[in-house]
Amino acid sequence: MMPSIIENLPVFAVITPLFIAFVLPTIAKRLKLVEGLVILAKILSLAVASCLAFIVLKQNILPLTYYMGGWAPPWGIELQTGSLSAFFLLVVAIVALPIALFSKSNLDKEVGGKERVARFYVLFLLLCGALAGMALTNDMFNVFVLVEVATLSCCGLVSARNKPQAAEAAFTYLILATLGSTFLLGGIGFIYIITGHLNMGFAFEEITKVWMQYPHVVWIAVSFILIGFGVKSALFPLHIWLPDAHSAAPSSASAVLSGLAVKGYILCLIKFLFSVFGKNLMRELAIYELLMLAGTAAIIFGSVFALMQNQLKRRLAYSTVAQVGYIYLGLGLLSIDGLTGALFYMASHAVIKSALFLAAGALLSATKTKNINELSGVGRKMPITMAAFTIGSIGLIGIPLFSGFIGKWYLLLGCLESGSFITAAVIIIGSIFCAAYLFPIIRIAYFEPAPDNDWKDPGLPQKIALILLSLAIIVLGIMPGPFLELAKNAAVELFMLK
Amino acid sequence: MKVILKNLMVNYPYFIAAILFIIGALTVLTRNNLFKKLFGINIMESAIFILFVGGANIRNGIEPILNESEVGAVYVNPLPSALMLTGIVVSVSVTAFALALIVRLYESYGTTNARRIAEIRNELTTK
Repeated sequence: MMPSIIENLPVFAVITPLFIAFVLPTIAKRLKLVEGLVILAKILSLAVASCLAFIVLKQNILPLTYYMGGWAPPWGIELQTGSLSAFFLLVVAIVALPIALFSKSNLDKEVGGKERVARFYVLFLLLCGALAGMALTNDMFNVFVLVEVATLSCCGLVSARNKPQAAEAAFTYLILATLGSTFLLGGIGFIYIITGHLNMGFAFEEITKVWMQYPHVVWIAVSFILIGFGVKSALFPLHIWLPDAHSAAPSSASAVLSGLAVKGYILCLIKFLFSVFGKNLMRELAIYELLMLAGTAAIIFGSVFALMQNQLKRRLAYSTVAQVGYIYLGLGLLSIDGLTGALFYMASHAVIKSALFLAAGALLSATKTKNINELSGVGRKMPITMAAFTIGSIGLIGIPLFSGFIGKWYLLLGCLESGSFITAAVIIIGSIFCAAYLFPIIRIAYFEPAPDNDWKDPGLPQKIALILLSLAIIVLGIMPGPFLELAKNAAVELFMLK
Repeated sequence: MKVILKNLMVNYPYFIAAILFIIGALTVLTRNNLFKKLFGINIMESAIFILFVGGANIRNGIEPILNESEVGAVYVNPLPSALMLTGIVVSVSVTAFALALIVRLYESYGTTNARRIAEIRNELTTK
């Protein structure tokens, strides 16, 4: 009994949210039940993800593989639970549970009407299922399908508010993201034409043999895939859709989009770069330099743009552009430390940015203002919200004992190892910028006189969500233990592919 | 010149795909009309479909059905065509969603021109 459950765990991680997502519309009228089911789905996902992470950490041998429908690769679709997948599944589960809690009995005002709430949850669960699938799948075309599922649900989430601005942001996002997926599909097509495989393992073996024969095709494939995922994960010059989309979405949706969806695309890019092209090819074709350049540009320009914003959510959205730069920088370092840093930074940014966006959402719905300058004294009126915001800010800046520090530490180690002191300087400058655009908010909130408004902390589930995320930031910073180990193992596994 | 022409004759599906892809990308990026942007996306997707299906095609290949009378015959790879069916489904759902969004935008702004919509929105926010 037990072994068969464990063997089938990977598929449950994907199926559970998808299944519950399609149950929801049938009970859309009963809102309490819907919300309960969503939270149940998230708890189940967390349980599955922790089980998988535990197994992967404990076994430390070959990755757990699952053949969909019993068809072995190269024909069938293969789900592979290595350290990378277990790591990302755990991140998704940990971040999505508080977001589901935060949305409880809080959404109908934001999405405009009770009957629209269930639709929001359907999209939310579809996105979570697609992200879990991205973490597990080892098949390139399957990646494309899941990316497309995630993209469409993201666009739906952006347009969830019943406002014309939301529709406009969603349309821009949809067009650019579909442009990205078209490029991605083209890249997969080129790889398929020269290798004849869609399974990543087989394609990797074949591509290392034949790339000398078709250097141009490999070049085109790499650049198509980089552009595709670059657009979707808001890599610096391709980020134009992000600020509008993330600030137009309802708060819990912006938390998912900024915290998880962007990370899912980066995870897929990591899979393509390291387990299809491989690190030798990355070095040979100088992809790493491109990644590093884009990463540094993203850190600097994203931070500068964030500084110039006066609206809270837009500032956080541009900050996401900058933070994505750190992850790309870590990938470009092409060392185990750099990759560990990038992966851990992904986790820590997912937790931190969700906490920040949820806190911003609570501030927004209580104070009814988007402007940072009008938030004076809000820290004393809404202590828990602002405490979560402060913890998130400190974590994002990367002060020791908070989760951002460990990611940045490993990135710095990677920089010093590869002798690129300029990038190390950029990482530190980015931190200073980060302090420059987040601390004024905290100063205004705590040290300015409070007006006579009845601003209040949000309800109990929202408070629990904020406290959970703040705790996660601190726990990741003080005892990163299993997370860091998973990230390290994943980096080593990706790097040791011959 | 002859070599190029010969390559073109042999690999014409790829050339068609490349030309369509460029047309589509230019349409998406340069046109302001929301519908034209959507058409551009659809043209780009068709280009990729042609790339896949053309890449799998073998001249004089038979259909991939097991047939004892033609032992050793070369057959066309059916997998890319099957994949592109999925691709078409994805493309249709993207189109449907985008059209729904265009309807909503038209209802609230009264135009389908992206630049005009941005102008109207800026006027509304500065007021």
